Order: sequence, then structure tokens, then C-alpha cells
Amino acid sequence: MKRWIAILAAIAIAAVLPLLLSPTGYWIRVLTFTLLFAAMAQVWNIIGGLANQTSLGHAAFFGIGAYTSTILVLKFGISPWIGMFAGGFLGGIAALIIAVPTMRLQGHYFALATLAFGEVMRVIANVWTSLTGGPVGLSVPFVPPSIAAYSFKQLLPHAYIALIALIIVTFIFEAIRRSAMGYRLRAIKENPAAAEVIGIDTTKVKLQTAVISGVLMAMLGTLYAQVAVFFDPDTVFSAASISIRVALIAILGGVGTAIGPILGALFIIPVEELMNDLFSSGAAGLSQLIFGVILIAVILWRPRGFITVFDSLMARFSNKARS
Amino acid sequence: MTILDVRGISRRFGGLQALSDVTFSVPKGQIVGLIGPNGAGKTTFFSTLVGLIRPDSGSIQLDGTSVVGQKPHKVAALGMTKTFQNVALFAESSVLDNVLTAGLLRHDVETARREALICLDRVGLKSVAHKLAGNLSFPERARVELARALCTGPKVLLLDEVMAALNPVEMQEIMDLIRSLRDDGITLLVVEHHMRAIMTICDRILVLNFGRLLADGTPEQVANDPVVVEAYLGRSMEAHK
Repeated sequence: MKRWIAILAAIAIAAVLPLLLSPTGYWIRVLTFTLLFAAMAQVWNIIGGLANQTSLGHAAFFGIGAYTSTILVLKFGISPWIGMFAGGFLGGIAALIIAVPTMRLQGHYFALATLAFGEVMRVIANVWTSLTGGPVGLSVPFVPPSIAAYSFKQLLPHAYIALIALIIVTFIFEAIRRSAMGYRLRAIKENPAAAEVIGIDTTKVKLQTAVISGVLMAMLGTLYAQVAVFFDPDTVFSAASISIRVALIAILGGVGTAIGPILGALFIIPVEELMNDLFSSGAAGLSQLIFGVILIAVILWRPRGFITVFDSLMARFSNKARS
Repeated sequence: MTILDVRGISRRFGGLQALSDVTFSVPKGQIVGLIGPNGAGKTTFFSTLVGLIRPDSGSIQLDGTSVVGQKPHKVAALGMTKTFQNVALFAESSVLDNVLTAGLLRHDVETARREALICLDRVGLKSVAHKLAGNLSFPERARVELARALCTGPKVLLLDEVMAALNPVEMQEIMDLIRSLRDDGITLLVVEHHMRAIMTICDRILVLNFGRLLADGTPEQVANDPVVVEAYLGRSMEAHK
């Protein structure tokens, strides 16, 4: 009961917050990307947290989503809403293709194989100029603003769409975690041989997880394309700014928990923006360096993520309320 | 009625012939002991039965269905599972969740939870259901292994040293449990080092040595078989009698 009140309160705050920010300003953009990256990290968390498979190739699915919906608008005038599902379908197929050979790999080997897959997709997008426009990138065409065409004058609707996406993927994550699939994933994570012997089809469960994560990540790629309006292969298929960043957000926030990716994104995206803002004029590389130092400090301070800070605060709060 | 039929199972690891031409069959509802010195191939044999290790040759029929080459989860679904000698629990999960996960093979989450509590009750661990599995003592963990295997609803249950490190009272409880499982129609294969326990509860004993089946008979026959006594039991067997 108390849990639900806390969840509703958090959603209410998140729903009001965009209204308080200047609709054409800088911070609503930061908020939109924070929500979007929280959603992406949550989707990564399905495979990275529940199955304990540290994917460093999620940019592959993300880029497929961004390109699919945008190409469908450009070439056929199909609404990005429909393109989002087409992208999700292709993202799911890509996830299946990558999951079959990498599934048996664990730890660093899995991470490296997925990283390579993301890079392959980046190279393909750069080379396949007739479809993707190559290194020049793609611009989402301007159409008269309407909900059906997924086109808006301001960023405010995008912030709300990102918020709704975050709520949906968080519920999906939590639903999986509590379901039979969640139990099976924990079993596989802790002892794959024992999981098999008590009747878990470890191959099937891992494939299902990879596909769910791939589909959702591709769908979020469409959301990104619609906000960013312009993108190129090096942005949406980026190992550093997509694949590694979403993994980092989830790990820093608290991997395997529903709140972790949200806490991680609330910290990383604004701090990153702030660093860029403060230092980019002086020395271009300095912001990244300082950002890196902050990350190292945080990981040393809280190796299991911000969720541990959050948990101890909640514990203190409920103790006070009781006494 | 034969529930488990094993014909000519062999398996080689490099230069070591771990199993060689093992053949026997078990009627439904028997308690069969599997004994032999360390390294005789007992655990390898169990792993082969459940599909973790693929035999080089031979056939295994579970209730009339061939299970050679099947993955372990398929074998479990067909009704045969095992416990792990060195204990392979999901240490970061609660005791209840460990057992519940096995129940998901045949039930939804809620039914599996009820089944899991019944299984935990049978091994006498209901009171620690909500503890982390990794925090239990070794003998307790072995019993969680048993409960977890039981919760898959097996026809044939392979128990790999679940009585290790138990005190006499606990051992008696597990022996009673094994008998009651047999009364429920479950067929049991039991690897155990404790001779008195195995001689007491088993209807029949198989002796494995260097991967080869040395003897197959009632506890009395095996205990008095000069080949067995010479190869493995020796004087310690006399001491137990």
C-alpha cells in the first residue's frame, strides 16, 4: 500500500515537472533526454540485470529503431507511430540473430561480442548509403504538427511521451521480474546447470529476454529520432554514447532493480550536461575527464549503485515514521 | 514395470574411461543405492542420466522414452532430476524461491509456491523458508537441494549424497523421507558414503568401480560378494556389520 503511494507520488511529480520548465528552454530538453535514457537503461536492465548478461551492443537495436521509423516517413510517409512498431519488429529479429551465437558466452566475452555487433551495425549504416544516407545522416522531415504524425512544435509533448515510455518499460521490467520468467532468470543467473536440471529451458528463456529487450530498445530509438530530428550512424549506433552509457546508467543506479536505472539517469544525464556546459568553452575534453572522475568516485563510494543510498534513506524515513 | 532402463552406457574423458558399458534396469518404486570408491564414476553417471553429460554410446529409457541426447530440462520434464553433490543452490535467493523455481516446471507461480512449501515441510525446512539459501549450513543446503529436486514432480529422483555431514537424528529423518517418497511412487537412486544408511534403506545396491558395474543385488548379496569386498568394501564393511 505504502509502496503504491510512493509510486503514484513519483509519477505525479514527474508529470508536473515538465510544466514548470520553460517549454522552449534548455532544461526541458535535458529532462526529456533524462527520461528517455532512463527508459533505455530500464530496457537494458531486462537483459543486463535480470539475465545478468552485460550487453554492450544495445545501440544496434536503438539505431535500427531510429533508422526504420525515419526511413519509413521519408520514403513512404508512414507515421512514426507505425514505424516504431516496424522498428521494434526488426530490433527483435536483430536481437535473435545476435543472441543465438552469443548466448553461451558469459561475462566479458558476452560484453565484447555484443560490443562488436553494435559496431558492425554502425559500419553497415555508414556504408549502405542508398538506404541510410550514410555518414551524412538523416533528418526527420517536418510535417504539420499533430499527434497522429508524431510531430510537435514544442518539446513538452516529447517529454510526456518519454515519461509514458519510462513508466511502461518500468512496469514491463517489474512484471517480468515477478513472473515465472523472473524466477527462471534468477536461477539461470546464479547456477545455469542447476537451472537446467530442475527443468528450465535456459536457451529459450535467454532468447526470450534478448528479444524483449531488443524490441523495446528499437522502439525507444524512434522516440529519440523524433526528438533529435537529425541523427547519423555515429550517434545512434555509438558504443560510447548509447551502448555503454545505458549500461553505465543501470549499473550506477542499481542493476537488476526497477528504480536503479531511473536513479542512474537522474544523476548521469544532468551531471553530464552540466559538465559540458561548464567546461566546453574552456577546454573541450575537460568535461569528459571530470565526468569520468565523478563516475569513478561514485562507483568507489557505492559499488552496488545509488539504490543502496535510496534504500537506507527509505529505511531511515520509515523508522522515523514509526517512532 | 521398468521405469528406468540403462543399456551399455560408456563415456570417456580424454584418457579416462569414466563409465564403461553400464547396464541395469530399475522397476518402479525401488530404492537403489549406488556405491563405489571415490572417483568410481557415480556423479558422472548421475550427470549422464539427467543429460548434463552425453554418453559416447548406450541408451537410457525413462518410462519408455529415450532420453539420451536430450537436454537436462527436457529430462526433468519427462520426470528425472538430480541433486548436486557439491550443492548448487541459487545462493542469492531465498530457500522458498529456490524450491518454488523448480515447481514452475509444472505449475504457475502461486501453485508452485504452495507446492514448494509442502516440499520444504517434508524435508523439515519450512521454518527457514525465507532465509537466503547461501546463509544455511551445509547439511541444510543439501536438504534444500532435495526439496528443490522433489518440487519438479519427478518419477525418478537421483540423490547425490544428501546425507553428508548429517547427525544420526537428521539422517534418520532423511531415511524416513526417502521411504515415504518411495511410498508416493517415486523411484530413487541414492549415492551415499554412509554404509549403514544405504544398507538399511535400499532394496538393491549397484557397485561401481572404475566406471564399471561390479555388482548388482540386494544389500546382503552385495555385502557378501567376495569381488565387492575385495575391490572396495574390504574390512570396513565387516566393521559395520
